[in-house]
Amino acid sequence: MDCVFELKDVVFAYQQKAEPILNGFSLEIERGVRTSILGCNGAGKTTFFNTLTGVNKPQSGEVLFNGNPVEYTKKGLMDLRSNVAVVLQNPDEQIFCSLVEEDIAFGPLNIGLDREEVERRVDRALKDVRLIGLNRRPLQQLSGGQRKRVAIAGALAMQPDILIMDEPTAGLDPQAAVEVMELAEKMSLRGVTVLISTHDIDLAYKWAETTNVFRNGAVAFRGNGDEFYSDIDNVYSCGLLAPSIFTMNKDVSAIKGMDPAPYPHNMCEITAKFGGSKKSGKLYLVPAEVENAVSKYEEIVKDAKDSTVGIYGSEVRFELQDKDIEFMFEGLDYCFTQAVKGKDTILIYDSIYAPTIQRQIDRLKEFGFDADTEVVG
Amino acid sequence: MSLKPPEEDSMSEQMEMDELAYSSRMVNWAPLGKLIFVMAVLIIGLLADSLVVPLITFAIGFALMAYSTNLKIPLILALAIGEAILIMIIGSGMISIMGDHSQPALWEAQFLWFDIHMTEQSFNNAWQIFVRAVAGVTVMLSFACSTPIPHLAHAFKSLHCPNEITELIVLIYRYAFLLLERFLVMLDAAQCRLGYNGTMTAMRSYGGAMAGTFIFSMELAEKSEAALACRNYQGYFPIYHPPKNMSIMWVVVSVGLAVALYFVGKYTEGWINMAEIMAPLFGW
Repeated sequence: MDCVFELKDVVFAYQQKAEPILNGFSLEIERGVRTSILGCNGAGKTTFFNTLTGVNKPQSGEVLFNGNPVEYTKKGLMDLRSNVAVVLQNPDEQIFCSLVEEDIAFGPLNIGLDREEVERRVDRALKDVRLIGLNRRPLQQLSGGQRKRVAIAGALAMQPDILIMDEPTAGLDPQAAVEVMELAEKMSLRGVTVLISTHDIDLAYKWAETTNVFRNGAVAFRGNGDEFYSDIDNVYSCGLLAPSIFTMNKDVSAIKGMDPAPYPHNMCEITAKFGGSKKSGKLYLVPAEVENAVSKYEEIVKDAKDSTVGIYGSEVRFELQDKDIEFMFEGLDYCFTQAVKGKDTILIYDSIYAPTIQRQIDRLKEFGFDADTEVVG
Repeated sequence: MSLKPPEEDSMSEQMEMDELAYSSRMVNWAPLGKLIFVMAVLIIGLLADSLVVPLITFAIGFALMAYSTNLKIPLILALAIGEAILIMIIGSGMISIMGDHSQPALWEAQFLWFDIHMTEQSFNNAWQIFVRAVAGVTVMLSFACSTPIPHLAHAFKSLHCPNEITELIVLIYRYAFLLLERFLVMLDAAQCRLGYNGTMTAMRSYGGAMAGTFIFSMELAEKSEAALACRNYQGYFPIYHPPKNMSIMWVVVSVGLAVALYFVGKYTEGWINMAEIMAPLFGW
């Protein structure tokens, strides 16, 4: 197993004689795997993140980064933190500069990158979080959601190998939350190992490949979310609840006398499992870039007149914001659900998400549904 | 009697000032140059005995402010300036009526146990102080309305001011907004829980909000320290787009103007006698 982080019997307490927060803690974080960290308040999630970034030095045990023990020297920590970026729950805790671009450039300038490289990274990060045009705005003039995006942009500008997001959707409106999760997906597709700590179990269940559950400063579970939520006693003892889609699948499967496996993780999968049309609706998949999003939209809408349209990805969404689009957010799930219901639909997405779309097509096959798709352009 | 809760946008004074500075037509002028110019004009305006010099200083300050803001001063700032001028009027009024009793009085009266004795000198002094104060405020405002705090910190840095001080300026500026925001949220929360029902309750609410903000600032400091470490903080705040450096012209213009004002002050000393000008009005 290729691990970015390995924690071996880590013990950490904030004061020498105090009760440890991480209590003989061992965990491996696999490279490139979408990983969620769950646990009730006080389970040790934030302390764990601070241990990964070298802010907390364990009293005993070992933290390995890329197979080597973390060195708690200035150089060692700088190397570590150049590769591991953190987005905190409250963006105000990590924004230090007065202007948007100044704050995004803060990390890259601190590691001594040259100005051209910093400018390139800042521009790319601004584009990724859709803050272009606001780069010279004072931060106190931004909304909470925009500040969150600045915090994320600051982390992205470091071009990290590992991106840690502590409660990325907390305090955001639903649309902003969807965009943040799309961004996490985009980072994952770029090869970044993304770790998300959240109390939103529905979100974690839908997004994560590996679930780590913390309880009293130790790992109570590590593995597939379906396995964890099937043991409801364990779920309750960890201070959590099962995701609504998991519960729904379990109950409907029991009513219909079906096996709960395979476990659907989103709306299109549960529709495919229990109520899908025998014949798939036509799903036009339109990968697009900023430059051609509008022309591709106009072309496909002309060709497939009665189809509903959905969007996936913030770049395409921004370009098509004035158009008459049914599913401006969560387009992937909605469009596949429409196809499962036998209706023709168009999904326009940022081209980087092609593997995500393919993954959804493959997942639906597990539920016996072969989507009739056509990639356009 | 009870204390009133704060108005909803009582923080907007700071925000307006900040917005004004960032949208100023003078924002890209060298901050250090602006600072030297303003200080030169201000000091000469304060030192000169002639009333003409502070009047010129006022005119310069007003012209700069008008150019900087395109004469679009937000109402809330105009009110703040008006409030400052009102305080100056009261202060000057007090000075004018506390004249030297050995000199002949322009106006004399008794108010409770207070002797009012206005002399020509005290009246002229009061005017001098008033005009100086208004001129000083105008000149400083022209600077404040066109220089965001980070630019000022950069100017201090280029003067070899210790990093610790300039970093503190930046952090105080950044966190002042956050802590004020928090403080106002706490006051609103107190209001929702009838926290202003009676003077004592209101005072307790204010006290509680202040203590809460202080505790919050400690928590924020702790979390921010960890966040700074995560972002590879090296002990100073790097500047991405530094403002323009000061050219020698700024020094030449500032010194030249200061010298010119000094001689204008010498030449025009005693030209304006406010007591004489006002005499027909008050029948002195």
